[in-house]
Amino acid sequence: MLSLQGISKGFPGVKALTDVSLDVAAGEIHALVGENGAGKSTLTRVIAGVFQPDAGTVRFDGRETVWKGPGDAKRHGVHVIYQEFVLFPHLSVAENIFVGHERRNRLGLIDHGRTRRDAKELLARFGIDIDPEALVRDLSVADQQMVEIAKALVHDVKLLILDEPTAVISGREVDVLFDRLRRLKQQGVAIVYISHRLEEIFALCDRVSVLKDGNHVATRTIDEVTRDQLIALMVGRNLAELFPVRRSAKAPGPVVVAARNVEVSGRVRGASIELRAGEITGLAGMVGAGRSELALAMFGAIPMRSGSLVVDGREVSGLSPRRAIDLGIGLVTEDRKGQGLAMLLDVAANVSASTLNEFGRGWRFDRAREKRVAEQEIASYRIACRGPSTPVSVMSGGNQQKVLVARWARTSTRLLILDEPTRGVDVGAKTEIYRIMHELADRGVAVLMISSELPEIVGMSERVVVMREGVVTGELSKSEISEEAVVELATRRLAG
Amino acid sequence: MQTRTLRLPRFLAGGRAALLVVVALLILLFVLGASVSDRFATTGNMLNVYEQSAGLALVSLGQTLTILTGGIDLSVGSVISLLSMLTSGLIAGDEAMVIPVVAGVLVLGALIGAANGVTIVATGVHPLIVTLGTGAIVQGVALLYGLGPVGSVPISFDAFAYGTFPGGISIGATVALALFLLVSFFLNNTRTGRRIYAIGDDPHAADLMGLPRRRILVGVYAASGFFAALTAVYLVSRFNVGQPYTGANYTLASITPVVVGGTMLAGGRGGVIGTLLGVYLVSLLNNTLNFLDISSHYQLVVQGLVIILAVSVYVEKQRGLA
Amino acid sequence: MTGTSPIGMAVPAPRPGSADRIRAFASRYAILLFLAAVVVAGGLAAPGFLSGSNLTNMLMQFVPLGIVVIGQTFVILVRGLDLSVASVMATAAVAATAFGGVNADAPAVFATAIGIGAAVGLVNGLLVTKRNVSPFLATLATMIVLQGIRFAWTQGAPSGNVPPIFRTIGAGTFNGIPYNVLFLLVVAAAGAAALHLSGFGRRLYITGGNPLTAHLVGIRAARVTLAAYVVSGVLAAIAGLVLAGFVGVVDNFVGRGFELDSIVAAVVGGVALSGGKGTIAGALTGAAILVAISNLVVMLGLPVQAQIILKGIVIIVAASFYVARRR
Repeated sequence: MLSLQGISKGFPGVKALTDVSLDVAAGEIHALVGENGAGKSTLTRVIAGVFQPDAGTVRFDGRETVWKGPGDAKRHGVHVIYQEFVLFPHLSVAENIFVGHERRNRLGLIDHGRTRRDAKELLARFGIDIDPEALVRDLSVADQQMVEIAKALVHDVKLLILDEPTAVISGREVDVLFDRLRRLKQQGVAIVYISHRLEEIFALCDRVSVLKDGNHVATRTIDEVTRDQLIALMVGRNLAELFPVRRSAKAPGPVVVAARNVEVSGRVRGASIELRAGEITGLAGMVGAGRSELALAMFGAIPMRSGSLVVDGREVSGLSPRRAIDLGIGLVTEDRKGQGLAMLLDVAANVSASTLNEFGRGWRFDRAREKRVAEQEIASYRIACRGPSTPVSVMSGGNQQKVLVARWARTSTRLLILDEPTRGVDVGAKTEIYRIMHELADRGVAVLMISSELPEIVGMSERVVVMREGVVTGELSKSEISEEAVVELATRRLAG
Repeated sequence: MQTRTLRLPRFLAGGRAALLVVVALLILLFVLGASVSDRFATTGNMLNVYEQSAGLALVSLGQTLTILTGGIDLSVGSVISLLSMLTSGLIAGDEAMVIPVVAGVLVLGALIGAANGVTIVATGVHPLIVTLGTGAIVQGVALLYGLGPVGSVPISFDAFAYGTFPGGISIGATVALALFLLVSFFLNNTRTGRRIYAIGDDPHAADLMGLPRRRILVGVYAASGFFAALTAVYLVSRFNVGQPYTGANYTLASITPVVVGGTMLAGGRGGVIGTLLGVYLVSLLNNTLNFLDISSHYQLVVQGLVIILAVSVYVEKQRGLA
Repeated sequence: MTGTSPIGMAVPAPRPGSADRIRAFASRYAILLFLAAVVVAGGLAAPGFLSGSNLTNMLMQFVPLGIVVIGQTFVILVRGLDLSVASVMATAAVAATAFGGVNADAPAVFATAIGIGAAVGLVNGLLVTKRNVSPFLATLATMIVLQGIRFAWTQGAPSGNVPPIFRTIGAGTFNGIPYNVLFLLVVAAAGAAALHLSGFGRRLYITGGNPLTAHLVGIRAARVTLAAYVVSGVLAAIAGLVLAGFVGVVDNFVGRGFELDSIVAAVVGGVALSGGKGTIAGALTGAAILVAISNLVVMLGLPVQAQIILKGIVIIVAASFYVARRR
């Protein structure tokens, strides 16, 4: 169905794909795996006509094809379910399902009745109970994902690409999805399935291709590869090498920061967590489990509806980011570009941003001192850049992340929270970030790492707290930590 | 019908409940006016309010479309000025020229609008800046054409603005009303209409879905230019002649009814019915203030306060952390 | 470009080649080069263009616009827009005549004008930060309200003269240098210091560049934004006084067109409407370009109408240039 030959694609400063060749047959579910930043998303977009490859050819349905755009690819039967939703929040569910393929009557007008009926039927076939007339913005994230999937089935789809479709759904919904996908496969649809969850890949897929740093590493049929082999192919080295051993690990100190019964509207429903000096705690769970919201609330960046933050045994009143920073708490947010960095500014300004008062109050701002501080951080975190005045926008993802970590490591004397700290960064930067975490812990700082990567949680954490649907479902001590145990807690059915 | 959950009528669904605010304001104003003067709540006065709404209605209709896509058209005032001059200048009192000139002016309006759209799409510059620039260019051309009133139109030309159907119902305002209903139908019941909402709601998603965003944008700005041209024809009908600053106040004035009617500047939400009610609100407001014997200067103050009130009620959703 | 080797060691960035450096330089100073080109071309095409009297003339026009553009830049940097500046200018000027004309007490006039500007800026800023109203609408509304109040106050026809001290500031010269130019220099220096050297400026750039980052690093973004609108209001009021002093008489339309001209100048000067990007020097260069082009039209004997046509073309071309460069 689909045959890629020697696809290369670069962006200013990054080589995203190098000479990737790949075949996907009709009636096959083909897994695409690789670490974050391995090039999966770029490859998806090339197949879907969003990007034109710099080199190489795309053969689709037996013909060499150059898509004019995503609409062109869609017309020929290529449908992608992206990780970020492609939904119009202020249109109804039914309208979202049929956008681009509107149901029309003989006069060429929108047939609202048929739109509604067809949407209802489609959703029912999926066993999804969503009102087709509800506005998408009013749906839960899981329901939005189901709408995305329902959208794909409207069309005469020949190739379906799913990018992390189970990131925000669980249990029964996953079963329903797999069932649908298997039926589509029987109908001769070619399916590319991108996922981090290896267990899903072994349960669902026929073949698996591995991407690493933009290169196609291997393609194997699913029964000729083991889980460990797959991980080794993705990472290109043993896990033990990737996660540095913390040599100076000693018994953790006292609890420095604790959150008690935190509620954040809709997302966190009474979660508590304790963090000890010098200990690296992993916070695991599915995307949407409320981990990021808990972190933001602990930092004072979003309001707690109820609950409290206790620092050194005293409850903090009037929590705000400013107050949190003064208390020695730092937060490396998940969305580096959207939230963390001021992309238009340089390294020095980004490093100093959380402690501007340190460089002078009122009119004076000591730029020379800021520059010296930035130079120090660049050296100690090995940030690759021309100097303190390099704009962060021209730097690689890994180095941007190091800038962000450097900013917060400076001010975090009690607790540093890192939300998906290694997402989209190269392996080198990853190792560096792990090293920084160890260093901070050695200095007696409590470290809380939120991660969706099980190997990372297992490899780095000295204790793991697991969340699901806004509540803490369990805690694992060092000896209890395993991928299976984490998954068990992360997907555990909630009582009541 | 199967069992259905209780919900607002479709006409009000999708955030259109904002219309209730405008309706409430309209009723409030009406009660206020009626309590001030016996002559206020008469059919004659209401027909007067209706008649006065035509010009603002026509230009706001096009403006609503551009705002629904997340853009804005700041060139409408200049376009109205230039085309009003061309209308009276080219007709030059000749009865026979009326139809060809009016047709030509409407086409020209659409073309200027389309040029706005093409520039926005081709350069990627924000519509505010593009239409600010094209507005200046068009205004310059208008001033090159003449520094004062140009040409004239036959007496009968005033029928558009002052003519009435039996019962004293204004022709111009009724044409505007009909166009609003037509555009509302178009927005709700055609593919392109729904896609206008989609591209305003999330342009990035529209691109990924392969919607013809660029083509729709060009069409929307062409429509805005067309309605500005129609406004120009209306104003010539009203004042018998076109002038280089006839439309100057309409650029910003055309935005008031749109936002008061609940259409968000961010795009993707709102609709032309809200704008129509917003137009009537402005018209009724001016009428009420006349009855209250308030200096016309204060009408501006009140209009500004109404905008502040309206936009404070319909708070635009903020991009947040969670 | 920079890179990282597989073991995480920093790789020094290769030195940019000279061609790259020339391109970077040209890109960075494109706006100044453009101004220089306009001036040189003007000097060649119209002999009177670079004469002392014409330069003085241009400077006098440049000053009020320059003062307003500085304020506008503050607001645009925090993703805003101030449409009320022209209304503030006129109101401040009208207020200046309300103290008994030529006999007025200059400090009182000055304080009143600044008070008006600050109050309007405060209202704009509160609407934007507290009510989350889009800056376009908030400042449009205050513009209309202010205009109405002014009309009602003056019964539509203000008359009167400005106090002599403002005549001097607006139109007088000191050893051949117009006072108002010195005035602009002081304002520009203060504005540039605030933006580029102070902690406030840094907070402003972070807030405009990424409001979420600002929030997360503990910057009180609402307060910073509010301050930007107040700066714009105050500077508009001052510009109104300077312009009134230059013209000598006051009417309801002092400063008409300055709201759009100041936005045009800022955009031409590289201040991005998307926030967080731009400098005082750039914005002033943009204003200078507008003034020079307008003047050149007159010097070349072109119809005056060509001024606004050229202005329209310049803003679209300049904005396209910045958008293209960003890609």
